[in-house]
Amino acid sequence: MKLTILFGGASFEHEISIVSAITLKEKLSNFNLTFIFCDQDHSFYLIDPSKMKATTFSKGEHKKMPNLSLTNGAFVQKGMFSSTEYKDVVLNLIHGGDGEDGTVAALLDFFSIKYIGPRVNASVFSYDKRYTKWLCDAKNIKTLKSEILYSDIHKDITLSYPVIIKPSSLGSSIGVSIVRDESELDYALDTAFEFDSSVIVEPFIENVKEYNLAGFMADDKIHFSIVEEPHKDEFLDFEKKYMDFSRSEQVLKADISDELILKLQTNFERIYRDLFEGALIRCDFFVIDGEVYLNEINPIPGSMANYLFEDFSSSLELLADSLPHAKRVKVNYEYIHSIASAKGK
Amino acid sequence: MAKRSVVYNQNRLDISYEILNPHAKRDIVFLHGWGSNKNLMKQSFAPFLGDFRHIYIDLPGFGASGSDLVLYTKDYAEIIDLFLTDINSSKDIILGHSFGGKVATLLNPKMLVLVSSAGIYVPKPLGIKLKILSFKVLKNLGLSKFRSLFVADDAKSLSESMYQTFKNVVDEDFSDKFRSYDGKALLFWGRDDTATPLHSAKSIDTLIKDSTLKVYDGDHYFFMKYAEDISKNIEQTFLKILGK
Repeated sequence: MKLTILFGGASFEHEISIVSAITLKEKLSNFNLTFIFCDQDHSFYLIDPSKMKATTFSKGEHKKMPNLSLTNGAFVQKGMFSSTEYKDVVLNLIHGGDGEDGTVAALLDFFSIKYIGPRVNASVFSYDKRYTKWLCDAKNIKTLKSEILYSDIHKDITLSYPVIIKPSSLGSSIGVSIVRDESELDYALDTAFEFDSSVIVEPFIENVKEYNLAGFMADDKIHFSIVEEPHKDEFLDFEKKYMDFSRSEQVLKADISDELILKLQTNFERIYRDLFEGALIRCDFFVIDGEVYLNEINPIPGSMANYLFEDFSSSLELLADSLPHAKRVKVNYEYIHSIASAKGK
Repeated sequence: MAKRSVVYNQNRLDISYEILNPHAKRDIVFLHGWGSNKNLMKQSFAPFLGDFRHIYIDLPGFGASGSDLVLYTKDYAEIIDLFLTDINSSKDIILGHSFGGKVATLLNPKMLVLVSSAGIYVPKPLGIKLKILSFKVLKNLGLSKFRSLFVADDAKSLSESMYQTFKNVVDEDFSDKFRSYDGKALLFWGRDDTATPLHSAKSIDTLIKDSTLKVYDGDHYFFMKYAEDISKNIEQTFLKILGK
C-alpha cells in the first residue's frame, strides 16, 4: 500500500513525532512510504526515506530537501519546469499541538486530501481534557472527578491529597506531576502552567488498575486491539513514554476476564462512534471496583499503538479503505441567477 | 521546568525555573552568566549538593525567560528577589557565574559563591578602543549599517532591548558592592580565564571581608569540570557557618 506519513509540527511533542515516524518506517516495511516533515515554522519538506534518522532533523539537514506546498488533493513539489504531486492517503502522525488540536485535520480537509487521523470535532474533544470530560458526561461514560485551575485566577483546590496535576491540553505526560501535600503544589502548578493556561486536578489513586485499548472503525465495525496493562512506576513520565514508542516486541495481553474486556470495548465504542471515524485511537482506562473510567483519549497514539495490533499493516490498510469523505458544498449560484432573471437581466 | 510570573515596575515577567530536591530544607540558588541559561548550571551541579534544594533560574531575557525590558544589574537583582520571595525561598546560598555573580552579590545571601564573577572593570585593550572609535566616526558619517562588523560576539544576536541591557551591565564597576557584602564568600576561578581574568578574583578577594579564593585549571567555564570539588567546598563552608 502507498501511504504518506506526515510528522513533526510546531508542538511540544515534535521530537516524539519524529521517533514515531522512524518507528513506523520499520513497522510498515511492506508499504510504499512517503515521508513529509512539517518543521516548527510550518514549512513542509519531502524527506528521503534513507535519511529518516533523528539527527537529520536536529542538525537541520531537512532544510536541504525539497520543499512542498499544498494544492487541491495533494502535496506538491514545484520544480522549475514541472511539478510532482503526492496524492497518497496521509497518515497524520503529528502528536500534540497542530496534529491533535484540529489544525492539521482542518488543513487536509480544506485541500480535500484523504487522511488517517481525527477530524476537527474529534480533535477538539480529545485534545483538551476539560472537553473530554464534557464528552464523557454527554455519552454517559465515567471519569474521575476533577477541578480546573487557571494561571491568572487564584483558587484553592478542594480535592484531598494526593492529586495529579496535568496541563489541560497535552499528552505524553509533559508537565504532569503528582502532588502529595500542599508544599508541593505551587511548583507542580508552575510546571503545568508552563505548557497551558489551564490545568486539570484529579485525585491520584495509588496502584490503580490501568488498561489501554486501541481501535478504529472500518466497514461500520470497530476493530479492537488487544487490551494492554501498561507497566508503570506510579505513572509514565515523558522519558518512559518516549522509550515506550520505540519498543518493538509485542506487549503481553492483560490478564483480565472476558467480561472486563467487553466492558472496556463497550466504553471505547461509545466514545468512538459518530466522532472519531477515520482515526485509529487509543483510550486509556482506569478500573476501580469493577467500574470503568476513561482517563484519556489519544487520537494519534505514539507510533499508532502498532504493538497492540496482531497484524498492524493490514489493520492500517483496512482503515485507509474506509475513510470518511469531507463533504464539499456545491455552489451553483441559483439564488443570484433567480434574482437576476426576475429582474429580467 | 516551571514558569512563574512576577510583576516588576508594572511589567509582567515570566521567569522560567527548575527545582531539584524539593524537600530539602536549605536553598542554593544558581544564576547563570551572560548569554547562558539555567541548563548549563544544572548540567554541572545537579548531581551534587544533595542536602540542598537547588533552584535554577533563567534570568530575564535568557533561556526560557522572556523580557523586552532594558535592565540594569540592580533590576535583575530586584526581580530575582521578588521571585525568590514568591516561591518561599530563603537566600541561604546564591551561586553566580560571571554576570550572575554580580546579581548574586546584590541579593546579599547568607553565603555568596562567586564563580568567575564579573564586576571588576577591566580596561579595554587598545585594539577594541580603536574599533569603537572608528565605528563612532562611521556612525557620524551616517554609515551605522556596518554595525554588525563592530559589535562584540556576545551582543551580535541580541534584540535591541537586550543590546541596551548589555551595554548597561558590561562595564559596571562593582568594587563598592563587593566591599559592602558582609557575609561569607567563596570565590572559584579558572587560572586561564580571559573574560574575567584571575587578577579580578584577587581584587574581589581583597574587597570582601570574609572570603576564600580557590583557583582551578581552566578558563571562564572551568566549573563544568570541577563542580564536584566546588560543591564539597560549599557544603563544608556552609556547615561551618551554621556551627557559628
